[in-house]
This record gives sequence, C-alpha cells and structure tokens, in this order.
Amino acid sequence: MKLNTESNVYTIVYVTIVVIIVAFLLAFTYAGLKERSDINEQINKKQQILASLNQRNIAKESVDSIYKSIVKADLIVNQAGEIIKEGKNQDQDGFEIARKDYSKDCLPIYQCEIEGQKKYVLPMVGKGLWGSIWGYISLNEDGKTIYGAYFAHESETAGLGALINEQKFQKQFENQTLIDTDGTILEVVKSGQAGGSPIKCDGITGATLTSNGVNQMIQTYVKFFQAYLDSVKQ
Amino acid sequence: MVHELSLFLRSIFVDNMIFASFLGMCSYLAVSKNVKTSFGLGIAVTFVLVITVPVNYLLQTEVLSETGIFKQDLTYLAFILFIAVIAGITQLVEMLVERFFPALYSALGIFLPLIAVNCAIMGGSLFMQQRIGLEHESSQYIGSIGDAFIYAFSSGIGWLLAIVLLAAIREKMAYTNVPKPLRGLGITFITVGLMAMAFMCFSGLNL
Amino acid sequence: MATNNKEAFLTPLSRNNPILIQVLGICSALAVTAQLEPAIVMGLSVTVITAFSNAIISLIRNTIPKRVRIIIQLVVVATLVTIVSLLLRAFMYDVSVQLSVYIGLIITNCILMGRLEAFAMSNKFVPSLLDGIGSGLGYAWILVVVGAIRELLGSGTLLGFRIIPQAAYDFGYADNGMMTMPAMALILVGCIVWVHRSIVKDIED
Repeated sequence: MKLNTESNVYTIVYVTIVVIIVAFLLAFTYAGLKERSDINEQINKKQQILASLNQRNIAKESVDSIYKSIVKADLIVNQAGEIIKEGKNQDQDGFEIARKDYSKDCLPIYQCEIEGQKKYVLPMVGKGLWGSIWGYISLNEDGKTIYGAYFAHESETAGLGALINEQKFQKQFENQTLIDTDGTILEVVKSGQAGGSPIKCDGITGATLTSNGVNQMIQTYVKFFQAYLDSVKQ
Repeated sequence: MVHELSLFLRSIFVDNMIFASFLGMCSYLAVSKNVKTSFGLGIAVTFVLVITVPVNYLLQTEVLSETGIFKQDLTYLAFILFIAVIAGITQLVEMLVERFFPALYSALGIFLPLIAVNCAIMGGSLFMQQRIGLEHESSQYIGSIGDAFIYAFSSGIGWLLAIVLLAAIREKMAYTNVPKPLRGLGITFITVGLMAMAFMCFSGLNL
Repeated sequence: MATNNKEAFLTPLSRNNPILIQVLGICSALAVTAQLEPAIVMGLSVTVITAFSNAIISLIRNTIPKRVRIIIQLVVVATLVTIVSLLLRAFMYDVSVQLSVYIGLIITNCILMGRLEAFAMSNKFVPSLLDGIGSGLGYAWILVVVGAIRELLGSGTLLGFRIIPQAAYDFGYADNGMMTMPAMALILVGCIVWVHRSIVKDIED
C-alpha cells in the first residue's frame, strides 16, 4: 500500500494527529510534574525567608518543618497599619502574594518566633542595575533593630552587584537600626563611609547603582511598614 | 509616557538583544559581511518582531494565563504556540516580500526562512512573557499591548543598529592583516565582544 | 555501516563542530556560560534534545508531508524542549531559574533545525541518533570550556567550590569581573576558534 503523502487530506490528517499527540503528551507531563515544581518554588521562597532569620543552608527536606516551627503567621497589612488578613495558616495568605503584587495596600509581613523571642520579617522589592532585586529583613521585637537580612537579585553583574546575595554583605545589617525613634531609616551608603554608624551600612565597591537600588528599596518599603511597626511597638 | 520612553531607550541600548543577551547571533554573524544586506535583514527582523511580539502578548494574557478565556494556567503550551505564530507570520512576510520587494527578496535570499528560527524573534516573545511578571515600577515591565509593541520595535532597532555597526566594521576589516587562523569567524567574535564592552557603558543610564 | 556511525558521531566534535565551524547555536551558548553549572546543564539539555529530535524525525521522515515539514520539525522540537523545561523545574529548580528564557530558546537553536534538515530527514534511525548526540556534545564541550574559564577567572570558583585559595587574595590577587560580563564570552569564543583553527589547519572560511 502506498499513501500519497502530498495530498491535502493526508497533510491535514497528519497535522491533526501530530497536534493531538503533542497536546496530550504535554498536558500529561505538566500535570504529572506540577506538584513537584510548585513545591520547589515554595521551598525556595521559604528558604529565603528563613535566611533573613539567620537560618541559612537548610536542607530541602527540612525547610517545611523549620518554617512551620518559626513562622507563626503571614499577615497582609496596608500602609495605614491595618491588618487585612490574619494569616493564621502560616503560608496561605501573605506567603501567597507574588513579589510583583506588593503594593502600599497589600504588604505581606511574617510574624515569627525564635527561642521565645518575637521577630518580624519584612519582604521588599526594588530595582537594581539590570533587573529586579528583592529582600527580606527581619526585626527584633522592638520593631527597630535588625535581626538578619537576605537580599537576592535577578541579573545583577556577577562579582559586583551580585554580591548583595552573599552573606558577607548581608551580615553587616545585623544589629543595625532599621528605623530610629525619630523616623530616620537605615541608609546604604558608599562603601567605606558607614564608619560604624548604627543606622548606616556599606554599599558594594564598584556597584554603586545596585547599592543605591538596595537603599531605595529599603527607604520605600520601611515607610510602607512604618505604621504597622508603630502599632506593634506599643 | 515616561515608562514608554525608558522602555524604548532601554531596549535599544541597555538591554540590546545582541550585546546583552546574544539573541539572533547565528544570522548576525553570517549576514553581517556588508552593510546593505545587514540593513535589509535588520529591517526584516524588526518587522517580524513588531508583529509577533504583540500577537504573542495577546496569546499569553488572553489565552494562556489563568485570567484568560480558559481560566487555566496553560503556560506549558507557550513554546509551541509562540513558535507556531512565528513560523506562520514569517511565512507570510516571506510571501509579501517576494511579491512586492523582489530586489530585497533576492538580496536576503535564504535568510528570510531562517528568521523563523532566529533566536531574536523567539527570544523577543520569551522575554516579553517573562517581563509581564515584573513589578510595575520596573522600566522593563510590559503591562499592555502598547508596551509589547514598543519593546518589539525598539529591540528590533537595537538589533538593526548592532548588525549595521558590525557590518561597517567588517567591511573595513577586509583590508587589514589579521593572523590567518583568526580570520573570519574568530576576529568577528572578538570584534563583537569589544562592541559589547562599548555598549556596556550605557548600563549606567538610570532609566 | 560501522564507520559511518562512528563518523556521524565524531565529526561534529571537532572537524564539523556546530559552534566553531557551522556557526550554529551561538545565542544560548554565550548567555549561560558565566558559571559552569548552568553551562553543563544547558549542554546536556541540548544534547538530549538533539538526540531525541533527530531520532524521532528520522523515524517518521517518510511519512512527513513535504509542505508542512518545517512546522512538524518545530513542533517536535518545541514539545521536547517543553518537556525538558518542565523536568528541570521539577528536579533542578535553582538551575532552571538561572537558565530562565534560554531553555525556551533551545527551540530556535539553529543546531537543531540544521541537523534535522541536513541529516535526520535523509538518514536512518541509528546514524541520526548518533549524529544528534555528537552535535549536542560538540556544542556542550565548548559551553563547558567557556563556562569553566569564566567562572574560574571571574569568581575564583568552579561549580561553586573555591579553587583559587584565599592566600592568593591576601597577596593582592583580584577576580577579573570582566570575565563575568557578556563581552568576555564573545572574546573567549573568538580565542577558542583561533586555537581550533591553528590546530585543525585545512578549514576554509
């Protein structure tokens, strides 16, 4: 039997069959792997939040249980300090908000507890030199001193701006004052100019624009969170 | 308006397809031997980008995303649909160019069909898809079909600029005494590298 | 037959290398090589995809209607790429984030379409499979070399492990930030082409 592979009918039938096979194959693979990749995405985010609480390098398997034991609630608040959602389930409300949807009316904030001490994790997002940068800063119970910080970036220059992702840069935020009683906010200044001030951190040499981006991001988001932080301080 | 302008300038100079993300390198290196053909290919790439990126933008937001007509996340079909749109549209452009601009058609010759597999075209759509997910303040954010159009147009212009520049340099370089094993491909790579370095100075622009 | 198979596998590694000689698939080659790990993953992904797409197209080559040939090839490639990207997201999440859109760009990697048109459409299953693997590996080794040089000189590490000792830094050695920039990738590939052509003499431009 010899088919005429150039006839119109054959071409149409052939293409249809190929499309159906491909669609099924893809839908099947996607459905099979979706759960796994969603979990990966969540674990990745939880690792970042935990890193800001100085819980770094946790194995993938234990991330979930450690997160559950530390993070007590993922609230959503707004600029006026009002609570929009309570976030009692730890990773269902604030946690579900994607970075791009943060706004002054929708700010996730994580209430945590480490060794009996209350901590707050403030997520933030801004722009670096090439693309987005984001970070999490954790505060002590007093709502002003920094407990730990974590920053990450999409595509900053490796070896320069990309250093914000390294512990060396993040370490210097610890025990600094994020927001003083008179409302001054922590500044990231040119490398070497912080001079031990409790409300300044050194930027990265040769990466002025990325450092400025981090500074800008902190200024913007701390103002957003200010009202809520004031309310918990009392 | 400010956003549109910075997106426009940024796509040409800072996020230049060739120098920052190496998109469309194959035809970039193969066709850049003289300015005239390069210009033609640059125009063709810009043209195809301007049509495919907005079409794929609509496809992504109205059909594939969770808020689209199927109310389901169908992003896993994006690769196939994007490439189908691109292949279809290049076919169309090829026929139009052949019919109305025979001179350009004979100059571009085999390269027009190759546009379908030009990474710059597919890359344009994929970057567009990624940028929908950015924060709205970012100058790279694409939030409307207008943005998609501007992004496509300016990326195309950036590509055109890059290929015409390289072609001009290569025309001059034909008369220089380059070590034999380095001739052709090798020196072209190095030239592009040096051009990319020069373009890096635009990254300081605060857009 | 045996020599044919061997040839199909070996020529793409050097004499007919997709990057160095055929100038195919440069786009993604350069963008992912700032570090070694994504370069390896990218190289392997491309190898798997060229091998499978070559094999599949060669199996069905006699049934494909001429007119829709390119579309069918693209559909097969796009399907394989989607599957690979879903697998990466599920099992190697960190790397898939690093590779971002460049995984999708494998579809338009000219190596694939080039090999499909030039080889798989007119050859039997086994040689096509081998040609696919060979082309993929020929592409991968360049990526790995460029990735290794850039990571070693750019950040002093390989696969994330520190290679250049701290003592060297104390003596005033500094990482070459230039290496991590896109521009250096191009210049490095240019140098590899140079070296390759000085060794393998009889290649015309």
